[in-house]
Amino acid sequence: MRRSLYTVGTVLVMGAAAMAGPASAAETQSQASLSVLHAVPDLTVDVYVNGALTLDDFTPGTLAGPLPLPAGNYQLAVTAADAPDASAPVIGPVDVTLEAGGNYTATANLDAAGNPTANFYTNDVSPVEAGKARLTVRHVAAAPAVDVLAGGAPIVPNLSNPGEASLSTAPGTVSAAVAAAGTTEPVIGPADLNLAEGTSTIVYAWGSLEGGNLALATQVIEGLQSTPGAVPGGQSGLAAQSAENNDGAALGLGLGALLLALLGGAAVAGRRRTARA
Amino acid sequence: MHHQRKSFALTAASVAAGVLTICCSVSLWSAPAPQQGITAAAEAAPQRETVGPASPPVLPEANPTRKPTGAPPPPAPVLPPPEKIPVRPAKAAAEPPPVPPVSLDIPNTGISVNVVDVGVDKNDAMEIPNSFWEAGWYRYGPAPGSKAGNAVIAAHVDSQTEVLPFAQLRAVEPGTVITVGLADGRSLRYEVTEVKNVPKATLNGSEVFRRDGPAQLKIITCGGKWLPEKGDYEDNVVLTALPL
Repeated sequence: MRRSLYTVGTVLVMGAAAMAGPASAAETQSQASLSVLHAVPDLTVDVYVNGALTLDDFTPGTLAGPLPLPAGNYQLAVTAADAPDASAPVIGPVDVTLEAGGNYTATANLDAAGNPTANFYTNDVSPVEAGKARLTVRHVAAAPAVDVLAGGAPIVPNLSNPGEASLSTAPGTVSAAVAAAGTTEPVIGPADLNLAEGTSTIVYAWGSLEGGNLALATQVIEGLQSTPGAVPGGQSGLAAQSAENNDGAALGLGLGALLLALLGGAAVAGRRRTARA
Repeated sequence: MHHQRKSFALTAASVAAGVLTICCSVSLWSAPAPQQGITAAAEAAPQRETVGPASPPVLPEANPTRKPTGAPPPPAPVLPPPEKIPVRPAKAAAEPPPVPPVSLDIPNTGISVNVVDVGVDKNDAMEIPNSFWEAGWYRYGPAPGSKAGNAVIAAHVDSQTEVLPFAQLRAVEPGTVITVGLADGRSLRYEVTEVKNVPKATLNGSEVFRRDGPAQLKIITCGGKWLPEKGDYEDNVVLTALPL
């Protein structure tokens, strides 16, 4: 199983998303968050962090974590599932730095040529604009450049392994597919993708085109929502006038609401009569 | 009552047709940390370049040639054991959407309205229904009946031409029992614990729109002084009620 190893792709960022935003509320500032995605087809592995067995019998298409870890330097290694220790990795060892408040995903995957490798992505956990969802797509498959389609139309063109792209979109369910760059004939999907408001959905295209096992993997980071900027509840000031009048008349008797109801009712009744007339 | 409400709606619609509605201006109470984002981006930029075997080893013990050393660095002190780490298929589990509220009734007031789903408008403010006899439920937050967080329902206090039922919100007494009807026919009851005026400038959005913590109902409209220069009320009236 050992082939050309020890390669970690440079992460290309096509989107304008800020990397490594502030930590979500659940994290303390000295902690980082690490998830691990297994995206090498047909290979069960063990994952070692700093030489310690951390994920045992980790299977393709599964996601581990998020693991809260103190910020600092770590060494990740992926071994065969029956390896006694981290001394003979099939991928790595890879040195990574986890910044305080950072959110990361390490992937064990295939490079574009089909060799097992690892990638280390920084997840954007900055707040998502109120009423929006964040979508990030990452190409970790043994396949050429692709277009990512939503509802049949390209939303991310020409994405190459190990690149990623990020965008902000309306929340809801989209029909997502992946096609060879410049085409619309899906090589993955279409599959329904639920993009919830205030969350970051990270979609990985993984597997091998040649192996016929291309697939999507999904990671969701919740709790990134923003709140609306205001609650605009009035339009003319009429309620304030009415309240002042009523307060003056009822003065502490608690009849303001009643008067208001009567006045409001009378006004509306008057208007109804007018409307009928 | 129902018939009456319909008539109201008719009146309202006819009024609305002739009037250009102007919403309160938006007051931004939460600056959602754009500066933080910029700072973080600036800091993170070099970080991407440090990733990978081409970078200098960050662990002193790490062998720069990347050959297995046989003497791995000592484990981090807080690394959890494998069985404690959540592992799941990398699939998004789409949770079924909550049952939305469709009606709101507050006894001893004229507040007996239909409730519709609303989101965020172009000014980053919560959408408020233009139909004068409707209130809006913030669909991105918890629904009434959710186990956690605040269900937020808001409505206009007035229109260009008349005072609306939500003008009575400020006078609702603690202990009043509110009824929220859901789309599946269920009715939920809430007991009012507090009604207060909060200056719009200081309204804590992350508290009002909280999605975790105790389940509460928040009913919001405008109140306080009308500020003609802003075309807006000074306050929000915020009613808090707890599920019964």
